[in-house]
Amino acid sequence: MAVQVVNVRRPAATFSSAKPWLAILKGMWVSTRHFLGNLGLFLRGRQDFAIHFPEQRLVQPPALRGMPVLARMADGKERCVACGLCEWACPTSCITIYPAETADEVERYPEIFDIDMSRCMFCGLCEEACPEEAIIMSRQLEIASYTRAGSLWHKADLLVPVEQLKTRTDYIRRNYER
Amino acid sequence: MSNPAKTVRITVDNQVIEAPEGATLLQVMLDAGLDIPHYCYHPKLSIDGSCRLCQVKIDGMPKLQISCNTQVRDGMVVHVADPEVELTRRGVLELLLLNHPLDCPICDKAGECWLQNFAMRFGARHARTIEPRRKHGKRMDIGERILLDQERCILCRRCVRFCREVSKTGELFVFNHGDHSLLDIYDRRLDNDYSMNVADVCPVGALETKDFHHRMRVWFLEETASVCPSCSNGCNIMISAARGKIWRLTPRRNDEVNDTWMCDAGRLNYKFVGDAGRLVTPLVAGEGGPAPANWDDALQRAAGAIGDFVKRHGAKALGGVASPHLTNEENFRCGEMLRAVGVERIAMAVPRGKHDDFLIKAEKAANARGVRELGLVAGPDDGLEELLRACEAGEIRGLYVCGGDLLEAAPAERIDAILGKLDLLIVQDLAARPRFARAAVTLPATTFAEKDGTFTNHAGRVQRIRRALATPPGWRADGEIFTTLLNTLAARSERFEIAAVWEAMSRDGGRFAAIAFDRIGPEGAPLDAA
Ligand code: SF4
Ligand code: SF4
Ligand code: SF4
Ligand code: SF4
Ligand code: FES
Repeated sequence: MAVQVVNVRRPAATFSSAKPWLAILKGMWVSTRHFLGNLGLFLRGRQDFAIHFPEQRLVQPPALRGMPVLARMADGKERCVACGLCEWACPTSCITIYPAETADEVERYPEIFDIDMSRCMFCGLCEEACPEEAIIMSRQLEIASYTRAGSLWHKADLLVPVEQLKTRTDYIRRNYER
Repeated sequence: MSNPAKTVRITVDNQVIEAPEGATLLQVMLDAGLDIPHYCYHPKLSIDGSCRLCQVKIDGMPKLQISCNTQVRDGMVVHVADPEVELTRRGVLELLLLNHPLDCPICDKAGECWLQNFAMRFGARHARTIEPRRKHGKRMDIGERILLDQERCILCRRCVRFCREVSKTGELFVFNHGDHSLLDIYDRRLDNDYSMNVADVCPVGALETKDFHHRMRVWFLEETASVCPSCSNGCNIMISAARGKIWRLTPRRNDEVNDTWMCDAGRLNYKFVGDAGRLVTPLVAGEGGPAPANWDDALQRAAGAIGDFVKRHGAKALGGVASPHLTNEENFRCGEMLRAVGVERIAMAVPRGKHDDFLIKAEKAANARGVRELGLVAGPDDGLEELLRACEAGEIRGLYVCGGDLLEAAPAERIDAILGKLDLLIVQDLAARPRFARAAVTLPATTFAEKDGTFTNHAGRVQRIRRALATPPGWRADGEIFTTLLNTLAARSERFEIAAVWEAMSRDGGRFAAIAFDRIGPEGAPLDAA
């Protein structure tokens, strides 16, 4: 692949630049806060600090990035036009697309669209790269599989009706200013 | 050209550049490595001056000048990094984008599109219009191999000039004027033998080849500089491969051979590389016909069969058929191997076809000249008739055949009768052909895209080909097959390394001796200059 090398200027951190120390202090404050909070609960008699999955589940924030899925339109077709930008943006190269031609006005669609979920790291770069709002980070986190082949998701498994993705599409429109 | 042009000096943004007098200012600046946006200018086409993007400021001129239609003069002072030039470029790009469909996600050109690139580097980042964009023809089928998208066209007229000046067929025109201008065909379809070059000269995705349409993104392609294997002209090409497959061939500039063009037939002739019918395991004759064998066993069998045959019938009864598709190095090793065994008669079958007075040559193989220069074959028909007669007379009873061209070199009955009489047949070919079914051993051949080496074109120019695709583990390319056989049959210990083979070729005399392997540059090296 034609890869362009960009040399990033990284100024060395010094003791006098305050930021690294601030970050460490901030991190320590988070730990301390949790420790003190849990200590308080413990002193008041609480014994069990685990969340009993799957009976109990955390309420996830709207910014949650679950597995990437493909938006399915009302006509049952994908919104994706197989432009290949997510495939290029993906840092783990877990997306594989083979485009093909369609008679529809959009001209092309993904004949094959595979995501290897065992490699996906839920970074959301595919979603950010997509010019069509066609690949969306869903709220789906439970994607374990008994086999390696089961981790390879094909287009048919990835399609999700676009209405079900509203939480996330609202969120990204707000945040990416679309 | 006998009078070398006078050299003049010009100044571009305080940089002094030397150039031959009368040269095109734009080309001089591009050659000096300056990033000057331009669309309609193409080094191999006439000047059009229609896109207005290449404008620069020249001292002493009342207004900006298009650099593609300006000749350099001594002492010329040019400004490129200039607010007026920058504003003009931004304006030109904005006008070009006014009605542009922004199809990038579905446009084959995306990633190598001059409109994308120059708009990002020199244009404004945001559109100022909200009006709907003009609608025109999409995916118009204007030729056997070409599609036109009128909305994407920026009217640079490169394609029009290509059809007028290079293919000399004149199918494309710009109709109407001003805002209504539209590119289209008129009285005939764009079907000339070089039609696909318009997709290369088109700076945007308005002209696309059907072959590459919606198939692969250009940013996934790895490009390898090589040479077209489809005729003896040896046009310079780029092989674009990704995911273990070739997706397209495009011409590469070589002013000594093909300028920046190639023919459609050559461009499309790459599918045999990934053909499902290709032979991928050696075959050896068994009870029930040819059966797959591993490489070592098959090569052992071949060497054993040749050895036995020579013991029984004498080396004179063995003939060889060299292949014009193999490289100079492979053919040299092939000759070494056959001669070490004692083979005297070697012939070559060259496929022939249509030719013209531009690029397309009648010999449909890249290296026939190389085989002749190596002295493997002689005579106007490359010794073929003599070899066939010797077979028919029973003087030759065994053949080592490289490639399937022999099957087409004479009427089928004649060839089949000859093959039917042989006591030994060894074949090295891309496919297992039924007519070679009597072969004792059939060894898979390797295509031009899977190996390194050199071809000698019809005019005696030696040019490098390079490996673009990997072969499976354990695979033996043609040169390695010959080398293994040579080592087994003549108790030698050679290896097949191109530079080393080249040295042996030089020691052997012949015209290759005068060319040092590392001197074969991107334009190749002519045998004559040596
Ligand atoms: S979330 Fe990140 S790793 Fe996963 S498919 Fe998208 S780009 Fe690739
Ligand atoms: S970036 Fe979006 S439109 Fe492009 S291939 Fe990926 S999902 Fe499809
Ligand atoms: S089709 Fe392409 S090459 Fe032809 S005029 Fe339009 S932009 Fe230029
Ligand atoms: S003219 Fe010959 S060498 Fe050139 S592209 Fe066509 S087939 Fe290939
Ligand atoms: S390149 Fe000079 S006007 Fe188009």
